[in-house]
Amino acid sequence: MTLNGWEAAFFWVFAIAALVAALLTILARNAVHSALFLISTLISVAALFILLGAEFIAGVQILVYVGGVMVLFLFVIMLVNVGAEERGNEELFNRPLQVTTSAVVLVLLSLGFIYAIRQGYEGMLRNNNLDTPEQRQQLAARRQARQQNLSPAATGTSRISQDTQLVGASLYRYAALPFEIASVLLLVAIIGSVMLARTNKQEAATDDIETKEEGGEMKDE
Amino acid sequence: MNHFIASALALILQEAPAVSRWQTIKQGVLEPDLSKFLVIAALLFIIGVAGVLTRRNIIVIFMSIELILNAANLNFIAFSRYLQDTGNMNAVAGQVFTVFIIVVAAAEAAIGLGLVIALYRNKETILIDKIDLLKW
Repeated sequence: MTLNGWEAAFFWVFAIAALVAALLTILARNAVHSALFLISTLISVAALFILLGAEFIAGVQILVYVGGVMVLFLFVIMLVNVGAEERGNEELFNRPLQVTTSAVVLVLLSLGFIYAIRQGYEGMLRNNNLDTPEQRQQLAARRQARQQNLSPAATGTSRISQDTQLVGASLYRYAALPFEIASVLLLVAIIGSVMLARTNKQEAATDDIETKEEGGEMKDE
Repeated sequence: MNHFIASALALILQEAPAVSRWQTIKQGVLEPDLSKFLVIAALLFIIGVAGVLTRRNIIVIFMSIELILNAANLNFIAFSRYLQDTGNMNAVAGQVFTVFIIVVAAAEAAIGLGLVIALYRNKETILIDKIDLLKW
C-alpha cells in the first residue's frame, strides 16, 4: 500500500496539519481556541481517511465529531468559567516536575513506537511477501484493476466506490449485536448526562433529593 | 543510563539498506506507505497523552482523550486499507470497529461533560488539582 503523486502531497499536508493542530490544542491558553484547533485536527484526520479510501468513515467523523461532539464541547466551555486561565491568573500546566517527567517518558515512548513500527512493518512486509518493490507494484496494479471493475460516476472522472456498501453490510451482518449494544450505550449516555447536568432545583422539583433549608455549599443553577 | 540511551539510539539508527540512506528517505517521502500512517497516528497518540498528563483544565483533558481515540481510528483505517490491498476478505472490519469507537467517544464526551457541569456547579472550578476531596 503506497500513495504516490498528488495523494502523497496531500498526505503530507494533512498529516503535518493534524500534528501541528494537535500540538496547538494542548498548548492553547484559551479553551475555545483549543476546541477550534481540535476541530482542525479532526478534519485533517478525516482527510487522511479519504486518502485511505474510507469515505464513509470520513463523513461520519466530520458529522459526529465536528458537528456533534465539538459543539457540545463549545457549549460546556461557555457554561463554565475559564476566565482565570485565559487572563493568565492560573497556570496552564501541572507543576514543572510533573511536566518534565511526562515529557521525558513520552519522548522515550515515541522513540519506542517509531522503532517498533519500523521493525514490525518490515517484518509484516516479509510475511506477506511484499518486501521487494516489484511485488508491491504488482499489488498496486491489482488494486487498479479492481477499481476498473467499479461502475463510473456520473461525471465520468472517477468511479463509484463500494466502500460504504461494504461497511454497511458488514455492520449489520457480522456486527449486529455490537450495533444494538452501542445503541443501548448511547441511550444510557443520554439519560446519564441529563441526570448529571440537572440543577438542585430541578432535582428537588421531582422529589429526588431533600431540599436544603439554607443555600450553604450547594448552589442552585 | 548512558548505555541505555546509546543502545536505544543504535537500535533506531541501525538500518543499513542496500541503497543509500538518502534514497530510502526520498522514496519514503514521495511514496508514503502504511508505516507513515502508523507513525502519524503514534505521534497523535503521544500528543494526546501529553495533554492528559500535563494540562490542568479538565475540558482540555477531555479534548486530549478525543485525540487519543482518533489516533486509534487512524491506525484501524490504515490497516483496513492495507488488508484491502492484500486482498483480505475481512478488510472492512477495521472500518466497522472505527464506527464503534466513534460511538463510544461520543457517549464518553456526553457523560464527561455532564460531570464537568455538575462539578463546576458544586466546586466552582474545573482545574483538576483543585478537586482533591478524596485526598487525605
